[in-house]
Parts: sequence; C-alpha cells; structure tokens
Amino acid sequence: MLAFLTRRVLGMTIVLAVMSFVVFMLIGLMPGDPIDIMIASNPELTPADGERLKRLHGLDLPLWERYRNWLGVALSGDLGFSRTYNRPVLDILLPRLGNTVILLGLSSLAAIAIAIPLGVIAATRPQSPVDGAINLFCFAGISVPPFWLALIFILLFAVTLGWLPAGGMGAPDACLFARLEFLVLPVATLTIASLAGYTRFARSAMIEVLRQDYIRTARAKGLGPARTVFGHGLRNAMLPLTTIIALDFGSLFSGALITETMFGYLGMGKLIYDSILGNDFNLALVGLLLATLVVLIGNFLADIAYAVLDPRISFRALEAA
Amino acid sequence: MSSIAPLTGAAQSEPPLFWLRLRRSRAALVSAVILIIITSLALLAPVIEFLLGVDATRVDLFNQYAAPDSTHWLGTDEAGRDVFVRLLYGGRISLLVGLVAALGAAVIGTTIGLFAGYHGGWLDTVLMRTTDGVIALPLLPLLIVLAAIDLSKLGIPEAIANSEMASLYRIVFIIAIVGWTTVARLVRAATLSVRTREFVRAAEAMGTSSAKIMLRHILPNVVSPIIVATTLSIGVVILLESVLSFLGLGIQPPIPSWGNMLTNAQELATRAPALAIWPGTVIFVTVMAFNFLGDGLQDALDPRSVRR
Amino acid sequence: MTIRGMIATAALATVLSTGAVQAQKDELVIGISQFPQGFHPNIASHVALSLIHGMTRRPFTVYDAEWQLICQLCTTVPTREAGTIRDWTTPDGKDGLAVDYTIRDGATWGDGTPITTKDVQFTWAIGREETSGVNNQELYRRMEKIEAQDAHNFTIFWNKRTCDVAAINDFEVVPAHLEADAASDPSVYRSRNAYDTDPTQPGLYFGPYRITHVEPGATVVLEPNPTWWGTAPFFRKITIRTVENTAALEANLLSGEIDYIAGEDGISLDQALTFEKRHGERFNVVFKPGLFYEHIDLRLDNPVLEDIRVRQAMLHAIDRNSISVRLFEGKQPVADTSVHPLDQYHVDDVRKYPFDPALAATLLDEAGWTDIRKGIRHNAAGEPLLLEIMTTAGNRVRELVEQVIQSNLREIGIDLRIRNQPARVLFGQTIRQRQFTGMAMFAWFSSPRNVPRTTLHSSMIPTVGNGWSGQNYTGYRSDVMDTAIDRVEVGCSEEDQTRHWTTIQQTYAQDLPVLPLYFRANAFIMPKWLKGVTPTGHQYPSTLWVENWTAE
Repeated sequence: MLAFLTRRVLGMTIVLAVMSFVVFMLIGLMPGDPIDIMIASNPELTPADGERLKRLHGLDLPLWERYRNWLGVALSGDLGFSRTYNRPVLDILLPRLGNTVILLGLSSLAAIAIAIPLGVIAATRPQSPVDGAINLFCFAGISVPPFWLALIFILLFAVTLGWLPAGGMGAPDACLFARLEFLVLPVATLTIASLAGYTRFARSAMIEVLRQDYIRTARAKGLGPARTVFGHGLRNAMLPLTTIIALDFGSLFSGALITETMFGYLGMGKLIYDSILGNDFNLALVGLLLATLVVLIGNFLADIAYAVLDPRISFRALEAA
Repeated sequence: MSSIAPLTGAAQSEPPLFWLRLRRSRAALVSAVILIIITSLALLAPVIEFLLGVDATRVDLFNQYAAPDSTHWLGTDEAGRDVFVRLLYGGRISLLVGLVAALGAAVIGTTIGLFAGYHGGWLDTVLMRTTDGVIALPLLPLLIVLAAIDLSKLGIPEAIANSEMASLYRIVFIIAIVGWTTVARLVRAATLSVRTREFVRAAEAMGTSSAKIMLRHILPNVVSPIIVATTLSIGVVILLESVLSFLGLGIQPPIPSWGNMLTNAQELATRAPALAIWPGTVIFVTVMAFNFLGDGLQDALDPRSVRR
Repeated sequence: MTIRGMIATAALATVLSTGAVQAQKDELVIGISQFPQGFHPNIASHVALSLIHGMTRRPFTVYDAEWQLICQLCTTVPTREAGTIRDWTTPDGKDGLAVDYTIRDGATWGDGTPITTKDVQFTWAIGREETSGVNNQELYRRMEKIEAQDAHNFTIFWNKRTCDVAAINDFEVVPAHLEADAASDPSVYRSRNAYDTDPTQPGLYFGPYRITHVEPGATVVLEPNPTWWGTAPFFRKITIRTVENTAALEANLLSGEIDYIAGEDGISLDQALTFEKRHGERFNVVFKPGLFYEHIDLRLDNPVLEDIRVRQAMLHAIDRNSISVRLFEGKQPVADTSVHPLDQYHVDDVRKYPFDPALAATLLDEAGWTDIRKGIRHNAAGEPLLLEIMTTAGNRVRELVEQVIQSNLREIGIDLRIRNQPARVLFGQTIRQRQFTGMAMFAWFSSPRNVPRTTLHSSMIPTVGNGWSGQNYTGYRSDVMDTAIDRVEVGCSEEDQTRHWTTIQQTYAQDLPVLPLYFRANAFIMPKWLKGVTPTGHQYPSTLWVENWTAE
C-alpha cells in the first residue's frame, strides 16, 4: 500500500514538473507582451517607462532564467502574484477551483446516475428499438457543439421560459442550495457531453458481464432478471466504468471551460483561458498545474475505487500495472 | 482462424463479408450516404456557385439577411453573401481540417503504438506512460496555449506563418499532436496480440528487420482499429474546430469554416437565427454521421467486438 | 420551434412579468463585458474600472457630457484670467506653469477622514516612484512639485507650457492615511496597496458609492457612501456584473438578471441595433457616437501607398456611406478627419471623398495601374496592385467591415489580402513596431481637443532607435502639419486654436496619411424606468454623474 502510494505520488510529481516546464516555455512563445500593449495604448508612456515596467514584472530576463527563478520561488511555497488581478495566485485560484470541482462533481454524478440505467436498459435489450433510441441520443449528445447547446439552453430555459437564470453564480452570500438554480444549466450542458461515452461504455460492459458464466448460473438458480442484473451484473460492469470516468476527467475539464464561459460561471477553466490570453504567466501556469493535479487525483481515486469495487484486485496488482 | 492466416500476414477480413456486415448497420449506411452527399457538395462548391450565379465572397450591403429564394437557397448573411454556398465552402475547410488532422493523429498514434507494442520493455513503458499522461491532461487549455504561440518565433518561415492559411495549418497541427492517444493505445493492443502470431515469429526467425516486420506484417493486421478510430476522430476534430473558433482561436476569416460561421452567427442569434441554425446543424449532422459510420465500421471490421 | 419563435414568446412572457421587476427598482444591476484587472486607480487601467470608479471616486477635473472641462473634486477650473494659472520658470530655466486648485468642501474619504492636500502630495510622490507600478508616470514627472498652502489649497508646478494644463483628469488621488504603510517600500506597493488587498475598505472611496463586495471575475457590489458630499444617490445598491460572452450578456438582460448594459463596455453596435428592433418597446437603446475614431493606418513608405493618387482612389472606392447606413443604420457617422464633429474646433471645410468608383478608377489609371488582368490591376512592370490589411481578430464588426472594404476595392481592381491578429499581438507588436506592410484598421480613443501630436508629428514615428515610442505608425512627415501641431499646443488664444486646428484638419484630409472611416458609437441599453443616464461620448464614463440616475 505504502509503496503504491509513493509510486503514484512520484509519478504525479514528474508529470507536474514536466508540465510546468512545457507550459512555461509555450507561454513564452506567445507574441505580444502585456507591457507593449500598455505602452501602445497610452501615448504618455515613454520607452523608459516600458523598460521600467518590464523590469518590474520580470519580463526582461531570458525565458529559461525566468523559469528557474519561478521554480526556485515556487518550491519555497510562494506561487507568486497574478499580474492581472494583482493578488497572490492562490487567492484567485482556490475559490475558482472550488466552483469548478462543484460543477464537475455534480455533472459527473448526474452523468453516471443517468448513464448506468440507460446502459443497463440498452444492454438487456440489445438491437431493440429502445437500444437504438438510446444509442441515437448518446451520439446526438457528443455531436453537438457545446457552446451552441449552451446558447440554446439559455434561449429556451432562461429567456423564453424564464425558469432558470441565464448565468451567473447567485448572490455571493447565498448558501449552496440557493445557488443550485444557477448550476442547473451548466451542469446539464456538461452532463450531456459526457453522458454518451459513459452510457455506451456501461452498455458494452454490461453485455460482456451478462455473457459470463456466473450470471448464467445465477439465472439458473432462479434469480429474477432484475436481481441478476443489478445484484451480480452491475457491480462487475462498474469496474471498467470507473476507469473510463477517471480518464474522462481531463476532457470534462475542457468542457468546463466552454460551459463556464457561456454561463458566466466563475470556474478555473475560464480563468486559465483568460490568464493565457492575458499573458498572466503565474496565474496560467499555476492554474494549469492545479487543473492537472485535480485530474491526476481524479485518476488516483478511480484506481482506489477500482480496488474497492473489485476484491480480486489488490494494491499489489495495481502497483504492477 | 489464426491457423489459416497467410504467412504474409495480409489483412484477413474478406471484402464481401465486410460489406455484408456493414450493410447490416443501417445507421452506418445512411451516415455514409449523408457524408458522401455533403462531401461532394462541398467539393462541387465552385460549380454550384457558378450555376446559381452567386459569389460567395462578394459583399452586398443592399442584400443583407435576405430570405431564401431561388438564387439564395438559404438566404444571405450579415454581409449579403450567399449562406448556402458559404456553407459549402466552409464544409471544404471543416472537412479538410477534420480529415487531415485525423490522419495526422493516426500516423503519429500508429507509429507510437507499433513501437510500444512490438518492442515492449522500457520503450513500451515510457511511451504508454506518456500516452496516459497526455490523456489525463486538461487538453483544451493546452490547445489554447498552442493556438496562441507565435509561429515565427518557432523558426517557421514568415511566408507560411503570415499567410491567410496559417490558422488552418496551425489547427491541423495542434489537433494532430494531441489527438493521437486513442490510436496509439488501440494499435499497441492490436500489435501485442499480433506479435505472438506465427507469421511474425516466422519472419523474425528469417532475420527480417524489425522495421520491416512492423510495416509489412503487423501494420496490415492492425489496420481495422486505425480506420475506426480515425473515422470517429474526424467528427471530433470538426467539433473541436468549432470550439476553438468559439474561443477565437480557430480558422480566421475571410476563410469560412463551419466553426467560425457558427461563432459569428451566435451574436446575431436574435436577429437572424437561421445563420446560427444552419452551420450548427451541418456540424451536428456531419459529426453524428461520422460517429455512426465509425461505429458501424467497428462492428463490420471486428466481428468479435461487442458494440461499444 | 425556431429561435425566432422562442424570442417572440420570451418578449411576451417578460411583458407579462414586468410588474414584478418594477416593484424593486431601488437596486440596479449593470452588465458589462469585462472585469477590471485590479482596482487601484493609478495602477490598473481598464474601461471597466473607470466605469466603477466613476461611482466611487471623482477626479479633480473632467470633461462633462457637453465636452466642457469642469471641476468635480476641485472648486473652480483654473484659468489665466483668474490668475490661477501663472507662468513659472523651472529651476533649470525651462518654461513652466503654476496652477492653483482648491479641494472642495466636504470632500471626505468613506471612513470619515477629510481629503486634504496631504493626500494630493502623497499621490504625486508615489506616482513618481520608479518601482511603484503606477502606469501614468509621465503625468507625475511633468509635475515638478506640488506645494500645499493649507489643507485645501495646493499648486501644481508643471515643467512645460501647454494650453490644456488645467485638466488633471487622470490625477487619481489616493488616501495617504491608508496607503502610507504599503507605500513605504514602493517596490511592493503594487501588490500591497489596499485597493487590491482590501477593495471593500470604505476609506478608499469618496464618491456617491463605495465598493462593499467583490467577487473576482464576476461581480462588484456598490452601496451608498455615507460621507458623499453631493446629492444622495437614488439606488441603494448597484451591482456590476461581468458577462464576457456578449450573446449571453444580452440573454441576461432579457431574462432580467441584468437591468442595464453599459455602453462604455457592453455589446457591439450591430448587436444593439438588432436588439432595439426586437425589444425596443421594453428598453431604451441610446446610441452615442463618441471619440472612437475608426480608421485605416497606411504604411506611407510602401511603394504602392506612397502615391497619393492610390490613397485617394481607395477612399473614393470604399462605400463608407453604405457601411454606415447598411451596417450601422447611420448611427456611426462617416469621418472626414480625426476630429469629431462635436469637437469645438471641428471644421467642415476640408477635402471630402465621396463614393465614386469611376473617379477612383481614373486615379488608379493616372497612377500607372492600367493593366487589368483577371480583374486585378497591374503596373507597367507587371506588378499586381496587391495590399495587405490587418485588424483585430475576433472583433466581428471590424472583420465584417474589413470584408466589405475588400469587396469594394476588388471592384476597382485592388487585390486586398486579409491578415488579422489578436488584439494583444496587433497592438503590442505589429502596429507598434510598424510591422504591417500595407493597411491596419483600428480605432483611436481620446479625450476632447486631444492634440494629435503622437499620431501625426514627424518626430513621433516609432523606430528601433527611439525604442518604438510614438504612434505615428504611418510614417507621416509634413512640415505644415508639424508646425500646426507645435503651435496649437502653445497658442492658447481662441483665434490661434481655431486657426491651427483648421490647418491640421485640412492638411490631414488633403494628405490622407490614414483613411478615415467613421466615429464609432456606443450602445447604452437601458430599461424604460431608468432615467438620468447621460452618455458622454468620450473616455470619461457616464457614471461620473451616477447621483443623477433614478428609476420611475
């Protein structure tokens, strides 16, 4: 167990280290320095002002030197300031991270809660019209441009029907429950995008399981179809599903960016996007690393869930994998 | 089945059987027909433009937001240009981007998958760990970084970096370099199973070089998953192009693409909903068709597979 | 159901529910499309921030909606006649000016501390610090010193003589009693100042409102400031909400989450025009053409554009009137020069370039572009008449206008290639370092009577040598223009001003260093019940008069 943990943590550290370097260099390749824009838009600023501001923001050093400086300071626990917000990056990021985790968590749960029954229904009646309909619905979900879907949701549910807010987060001091209505549309948009994959996976996993001998045995023993499916089949079908959900976390995060933009939801995705385009080095970098970390932790938890769900797999086996 | 496998290791699925299976999937067939229609219309765009007597690039401010009629089948847009013909031209770009990026990703993925699967050992570990890492990453933010970098800083000739088509090359490139993971995993898995087959063993025994074995003996046998994954990813790429357009990082005007037409129309959704509905619908239909086709191909190419 | 149908239903549904909206109109939610980047008035510089600080702070002087210079934090605008502007000679013998101001009675920070000359001197001192992060240091460096006579009266000593010396609109006073500690080490002031670390601190503000809550990226909540000297504001709470996607911003307005979309930082003009058509009965849409001068900078050292006949031909070939009428319904008037028609010294007697493709063709023929092959003109050397145009990628309206221009110029045989870049690249690098090869379309945003020295004077051409300073990106050199600019800055009499401004405009229209397009208008989308909002049309926002806003 301990060895397993050590290995995983080490692995995550390596991924994060590589990421930080790659992203730092990539951001450095982006054109258009923020200070240059400031100078261009304000004729009163002299070139000397430009130099001064660049020195102030540490933008005058070569790229690798900036990375080395950043890494040194970051490892000592100081992740630096956001250039655009003028606040320590974590002050900006952590509340946003919380929001995104709520958004992703709810839509993952919703997707699983819908996908499993759908998958099971489809699996027990393969090639039937019901199966076909579910399949069609799934494909439709992954074939629609997400921002377009979001816009249609806003126009339909917020503007036309007036049932739900078009966007935003609710009153800042409100409790989570009061904010729930603000989450419905973003969560629905995200859920539809990830639902398809889960359902199709649940279906095929279930079909696979239902073919197994022990299910036939259970049936032969006279267990009802419902008990066979849910008692024996589902648990086993869940196994591959946890893996796919874990792997999906990264793309879910990408989906969050679009959803957050359309609904004015204050999440990480939008923040990272803005900071990249605003040349806010520190914020973009730490934000991307944090997002990666969240995804890695998601994967890690899925592995543990896998072990918990399947008694045949021990942590030893995971280590070997 | 393996006992009758020819020594050359040529693909075993017999064409008649394949077609028989594909025909069973009505959705895949319908999709294929739809895709053929959309593709040929897009390819024929200049001809249709000529026949209709319109000009897809000519701005006519006295004919904005025109309703559909016999010349402008789907009406005109905010600059008085014919929406139908622009959709066809946009389709050329979107389909081209989808196809080339998906093929690019397939080439990268196949190479990595073949090496990992055939050589095994530490190479396999490194390549597959990298693949897992890339899959786990939040890709869209990374794509944004890639889409924003300055091409000329990378030593790409000014002529290319500054051309009107730069946004197109860029998008194809960045999608290809992050989209290869699925193919790599599939090819690796297939390679692992083919590697132990007799004809590969035989070739090894005869001292054939490993490059040759991979190319001549293994590749033809792992081609089915590649085709399936590539078909599916064309749809994904078309969708991704629209998302990048939405974020302002896609194909740049004046070149029309479905993605930038949709993004453009978004702001005008209340005035001219049709401008948003048409590109949205063609994206939807095309991506859906690619998904169904890929799904059908999978069933047809791999009889053992359960539909996933 | 189509979206059209949905919208129609929406309008109906909201008409039925307006009763509910009107019940609680002592609160106002303003929608904008960007969130300010930091809150320090002298460090951050952002249109969203100026909109907010218009309600929480007041400048000493500012241009009002009639474009006249008025006092807000001071008592009277200094003049030579009143003796409050006097000549002064700097210690090193340069011509300078001494200007007197009086802080108005009752000006008090939100925590009850009076605003005094101490704050003024503190602001000046921190503004001059090299490392403090203050943007506009040039302003503070031009002030040789500030002397305080007492707690209310002070004199600014300028090291230069200019006509607009009375205007200190951008001198944003900050509270010494709260900021002195953070400023004790100027190099960390940028990150330690209270505006960014504690933006809801009441003592930072002295306007009708103060900031009571900030949710970074989303909302800023304002509530009345009890120490405000003027009329008590009507709304007991103003929320400024950022929705970056303009389609979503519009949807928020329709669904009632936002009451009013501010024109200073709202939706694009054509979006607003559409909106007005559909929802004009529910909202007042006010279009205010402002000091946004949309134009095309030309590289005058490009061999093609060097020839004035080509420049004239292009302007005759671009159907600016149709662009204005068809795309903007006439809300954005065609510009003849960079001087706005509302400006005091605007003259109409300049050379004009009406849409005339035949004349344009003749001009191109005269310039030697006679050989038309496949619709594109070539010169005697067989070179095609090819130019490149750039603008900000992602700005839909500009991209649309650009494509209209491309189409217009194609008609007279000019092959225009479009190559757009994101704003930060275009402005940060390409235009600033004059890397565009032909044409660049963008806007200048200025205050009234802004002397065009930085854009038109020949000493302001950016080069490697001068560190790319100056905004004369076209590379325009004209002795007549240089002289007129030099004189208009120092000849302060009404007569001199009129004469030199006339020369500037006539020379501009004659030489065409840039192609004037139109003056951009901002769209303010207000609910019918909101009264008293007066758009200014220049860079100082309407919120500087927020205490006049009411609901009925």
